[in-house]
Amino acid sequence: MQIEVKCSCGAENCPEWAIVELQGVVEVQPSHRDGIQNLEIGRLCRPSSDEKYTLTIGYHELSGTKVTLKKPLAVLKKVKRTDDGDDSSSKVELDVVGVIRHKILFKTRPKALISKPPEPAVKERASGTSSKN
Amino acid sequence: MEQPHSILTGAEAVLNVQPNSSLSVTYDTLFGSSDNHMLLELHDEILPDLLHQSITLRGEPNEDVVLCTLSKTYAVKFVGTSNSVFLIPPSRHQFTQNGQQSVASVIEISPGNMELIETAPRLDRLKTLLAQNPYSSMEALQADDMEDDSKESKMGLCTWHDLVNKIQASDDELRNGLEALSAVEIDGFWRIVDEKYMGEILTMLLQNSILNDWSLDKLDEDEVVTSLVTDGFPHKLAYHCLHVYGSEVDEARGKSCVWTLDARRVCVHFARQVLGVGKMKLERFMEMWLKKIPDGMNANLEMLEGEVLTEKVGIEMWVRGFSVASLPSNPAERFSVLFRERPKWESKDLQHYIRDLKVPGLSSEGLLLKYTRRTQPTQDAEPVFTAR
Repeated sequence: MQIEVKCSCGAENCPEWAIVELQGVVEVQPSHRDGIQNLEIGRLCRPSSDEKYTLTIGYHELSGTKVTLKKPLAVLKKVKRTDDGDDSSSKVELDVVGVIRHKILFKTRPKALISKPPEPAVKERASGTSSKN
Repeated sequence: MEQPHSILTGAEAVLNVQPNSSLSVTYDTLFGSSDNHMLLELHDEILPDLLHQSITLRGEPNEDVVLCTLSKTYAVKFVGTSNSVFLIPPSRHQFTQNGQQSVASVIEISPGNMELIETAPRLDRLKTLLAQNPYSSMEALQADDMEDDSKESKMGLCTWHDLVNKIQASDDELRNGLEALSAVEIDGFWRIVDEKYMGEILTMLLQNSILNDWSLDKLDEDEVVTSLVTDGFPHKLAYHCLHVYGSEVDEARGKSCVWTLDARRVCVHFARQVLGVGKMKLERFMEMWLKKIPDGMNANLEMLEGEVLTEKVGIEMWVRGFSVASLPSNPAERFSVLFRERPKWESKDLQHYIRDLKVPGLSSEGLLLKYTRRTQPTQDAEPVFTAR
């Protein structure tokens, strides 16, 4: 079996995607669990001209930096191509829809903000150190 | 906080946050509604092939998938992460809500990414597949009688397209594998020719050379092929015989190609023929072998390294056939078979049975280190290799 990997955007024009990565899991409050689409997760700020960033989720503030990936990542999407609408002769292809060269990585312990804003819809639950399997 | 001059959204916004500014990160309208995207680590070396649409994933559903460029094969390993990886596409993937705000929306949380590890092509399956239906003299005879393509005879045969779908190797590696097996394409199907049949064609070629007083290192392709076709062999196989036992000589000069027979390949062929009956005393073997070698060709035992094993039984030297080409190409299996054949090996013999093993990142010393135990009884003695 063979699955072709195509780049329909034509490599030069491959759009750049981004990753925001943090240690831990983001939890949505039960009241908002149906329909989290369009819900704000948090605010990403760049306080100065340094490549330092903060991410505020609920009443936690995370600190991080922009990291250039050692090896860029291709973003692939599975595409089912049918010949003349005939389902039995469909084949699966992978399409490169984007490339990721940088990510904003947050790996410090979250800081609890002193002034507690109104009960957030989304809060961050730290899980300690990350582990790559 | 300053308002940015032009409002960026999506990935562009995340990658270009201006000093003293901020943006809202949200779940996308389509979050959770579509198939996950896959993240694949890109090596510099696969980029050109990716741009030319020459990358494929190959494998049967029950196999571990491999990624193939035009010339290399990579194992694909999924590496998970317990971090939350928010994947943010460029802005045309979402609608901007509230035009004044800079917003980046997350389309999904990625569980990890795929890594590529260069690996040897998995060509053992090719050998097994093609060995199921070797092309024999019987088939050659029947081919003349067949008027239509009877579908039954095509069962179990593989075209190039079939092979690409069944074998986990890049196109270049697959081609090299076919070459190493002396496979030939007949009527669009890739076949291994039955050894006995090849032997018949070679014998006829040698006889014709004597009859026509041809020089074995200056064979004219047209003359050779024509004579073999006259003798009843298919044109394709006559040409293939030259290819298997000889090499083209460069000075073609626009006319028919000139070939020279390769002494080693011819001698190995006859050695295998003689040893086909089983092991025999070395003296007897040499007698029978040298009788079969064409005049003008010199045969010596060094040519048979990697093809035969000799050992002392009592006071006599015996020899038997043991060809490196018949061994598995997977290193672990290869060493297992080697140590089953002989528990102890000296380097001078062992090296010929591992010379074709190619594992990216591992030299032959590295292979020995990984799969064998090396002992040296005394300072002066030859080192001996045994199973780990």
